[in-house]
Amino acid sequence: MNRFSRRDILISGAGAALASRLAGPAFASTATPKRGGTMIASWGGFEPQSLFVPPGGGSSPYFTSTKVLERLFRLTAELKFEPVLALELKPAEDFRSYIVKLRDGVTWHDGQPFTADDVVFSAMEYWKPISGGVSLNALESAEAADPHAVVLRFKAPVPEFFLKSVLAGKSGLVIPRHIYAGSNIITNQVNNMPVGTGPFKVKEWVRGSHVEYLRNDKYWNPELPYLDRLVIRWWRDPASRSAAFEAGQLDIGTFNPIPMPDIPRLTSGGKFVAETKGYSNSAWVTTIEFNQRREIFKKMEVRQALMSAIDRQFIADTIFFGRAHPSVGAIPSSNAIFFTRDVQDYPFDANKAAKMLDAAGYPAKGGSRFNLSLVSAGWFEENIKIGQYVKQAFEDIDITVDLTVPDRATSLKRIYSDYDYDVAISNNSGSIELIPGTTQCYTTDGIVKGAAFRNATGYSNPKLDEIVARMTVETDEPRRVALARDFDRLASIEAPLLPMVDLEAVTIARADVRNHSMTADFMGESWAEIWLDR
Amino acid sequence: MRRIVLRRLLQIIPLVFAVIVLNFVLIHLAPGSLFDVMTSEQQITDPAMLDQLRHTYGVDQPTWVQLVKYIWSVMRLDLGFSYRQNAPVLDVIMQQLPATVILMLAATAIALLVGVTAGVMASVRVNTIWDNLISLGAVFFFAAPSFWLGIMMTVLFAVKLGWFPVGGMRTIGTDNGAFADALDVMYHLALPATALGLFYAATYARVMRASMLEVFRLDFVRTARAKGLSPARVVLAHVMRNALLPIVTLLGLQLGTVLGGSVVIEAVFSWPGIGSLLFDSVMSRNFPMVLGVLVLGSLLVAVANATVDILYLRLDPRIRLR
Repeated sequence: MNRFSRRDILISGAGAALASRLAGPAFASTATPKRGGTMIASWGGFEPQSLFVPPGGGSSPYFTSTKVLERLFRLTAELKFEPVLALELKPAEDFRSYIVKLRDGVTWHDGQPFTADDVVFSAMEYWKPISGGVSLNALESAEAADPHAVVLRFKAPVPEFFLKSVLAGKSGLVIPRHIYAGSNIITNQVNNMPVGTGPFKVKEWVRGSHVEYLRNDKYWNPELPYLDRLVIRWWRDPASRSAAFEAGQLDIGTFNPIPMPDIPRLTSGGKFVAETKGYSNSAWVTTIEFNQRREIFKKMEVRQALMSAIDRQFIADTIFFGRAHPSVGAIPSSNAIFFTRDVQDYPFDANKAAKMLDAAGYPAKGGSRFNLSLVSAGWFEENIKIGQYVKQAFEDIDITVDLTVPDRATSLKRIYSDYDYDVAISNNSGSIELIPGTTQCYTTDGIVKGAAFRNATGYSNPKLDEIVARMTVETDEPRRVALARDFDRLASIEAPLLPMVDLEAVTIARADVRNHSMTADFMGESWAEIWLDR
Repeated sequence: MRRIVLRRLLQIIPLVFAVIVLNFVLIHLAPGSLFDVMTSEQQITDPAMLDQLRHTYGVDQPTWVQLVKYIWSVMRLDLGFSYRQNAPVLDVIMQQLPATVILMLAATAIALLVGVTAGVMASVRVNTIWDNLISLGAVFFFAAPSFWLGIMMTVLFAVKLGWFPVGGMRTIGTDNGAFADALDVMYHLALPATALGLFYAATYARVMRASMLEVFRLDFVRTARAKGLSPARVVLAHVMRNALLPIVTLLGLQLGTVLGGSVVIEAVFSWPGIGSLLFDSVMSRNFPMVLGVLVLGSLLVAVANATVDILYLRLDPRIRLR
């Protein structure tokens, strides 16, 4: 039997987190909440393919499923883990096993009790093989110690922050064993009308229009949710979302719901607010990626020169209307735990870039140093403009550029399956925890043909792999942070792929919508504590 | 007559077959695949999981095997399963097709009503200010992109005046009985149907005007006037009836393009039809869904065209004689 230490102080926010764990979620509030009402919500994307997509499925099903299905923990805006379905998580002394104490008195929407069996099933049948992927490679077993306690055993030491990030992350939704056992979890038809423990139950999904949720009257926290009804509606066109806000037919929109130039107009009257909090655990960046399979880009000096040739402040100010800022290193600046400024930076200097290329053996002979194929992934409108700007910036230092902006499916194939590019402009969304989402863009194990948003450049550096391997098992948090910063420094110097700009995500809400944007991943929270001040 | 109808209906079979084969080949020729899109959304990096999904989605089989399997399943009236929507293709389409049919019928009705009326008025008042105004309006609505028109109508009638909703098909969460619900749908339908219908109304107005002016010059109209019939009766009973034939032809031809136009209008007005579904499916290379929508869409258009042909037989006895 494992001996568990009494060490249950969380990595970030020790005392406060312990208090919150004992007391249950500390839902922030600015005034006395009012009960009732219907809130209409939307987001800056399209309808989900299914309300719950077990392997992930992108932001849209994540948005719809998390109002119904819950996780063991959640991460607050202050980067403290709060208990949701779990009460606490205790590591053994060797960090090769953890015991999870679960909340009692929780029922699924169909009335069945939530027990340790559900967590064991989720861990072994859902998280490890389907949603968690390489994050949970080390997970060996999950056993129910009693009806409300689960022991997770690992092949190697697992850092506590890492495990909590997985359990509070996109892949950590707990699914009901009695519904999914014996079925194909990915194709189970319940995914279109998910059954969870969350504050809202799905009432109706009208494909192409909206999903309607009703209050779960038997929610484990009897105070919540405050809303009687939540409706998520989809408008394909951002301008139509602006119109819906103005016509009073939309209360809140997450993840850039309206065109950026509309934000000042909409918020100037005080009727609406623009909130940038609530996205630190899903920080988006625009990346530039140099294909190492091309001889030219095997030279680090060439990659560094091209980084210096791009005026990233111009991209932030002109293309994103100031709602972005130049990236520093490989880790987004919103990552309050691992971010460091002590990295190689590339301030815009076209003359220096030209000289670096001369020194690297690529002088401008006959007006052109070399030709390159630039693929700008066309899934975001801004990428089209960035592609056009980068083409001009490279042409300014005498590089001939063939720019293409393919649609989403073609971009994915060219960049991540066929590696058919010299330089690519793409995007990535990183969580606070760097493994594997951020690190696999650089490590050798991230080179998987067909795996999107991973290492498509083919960059391989044993030294960097070694740093990440040590981070994976380092359980002392200060040492782990130091390793992360070593990783960031090395990645920024080598520059096989680097974020160009950190993007600012915005939530637009009516001023009378209260208690939103209070966590590190607001879009993926249950929204139990939102209320309407009407 | 029965033989003609039967022949028209039988022609639908090779048409649908051609739609399947052509679109299957086209979508497979396009770079990227549903597999790429789905695995990117799911951020899967485990090679074993990627292989498992390739097998689950059936993309590990040769393209011709996928095509034969698809044709065989369509012959059994099974349009396949969409892994992206995690539902049978037919179920998803049948949830959204009625909304598109309603939008198409309403837009066509508006186009016919406005277009024919405007065309008749312009021809009766030819070379007057009315004729010029109608011609100007027709050119404007013909040239204005429907998405722009939709947004402008939304800003004016939904945001500024508050007369109509910004989007959607019905007021969410209300259940006031069938009649009230039907009125609610019509209320939501007004802007999208008008935005879609005005483009076709412009076409009908121009064609109707030209057709009326041509019929006005014919001998039987002169005879009708000489018989002392009232101008209204001459126009409505003699000229208009004969001038309508080109409109009926256009109606049949344009049903397919109305379906195409609904893709844009559905996006602007958040109308829950198959237009958005088709757009998403093309962008994600979801070929079972694309083919399903196109098969049912082509069936719809083919049946509507057959109906128009039959209507033509009723309107113009000369065709029956031939």
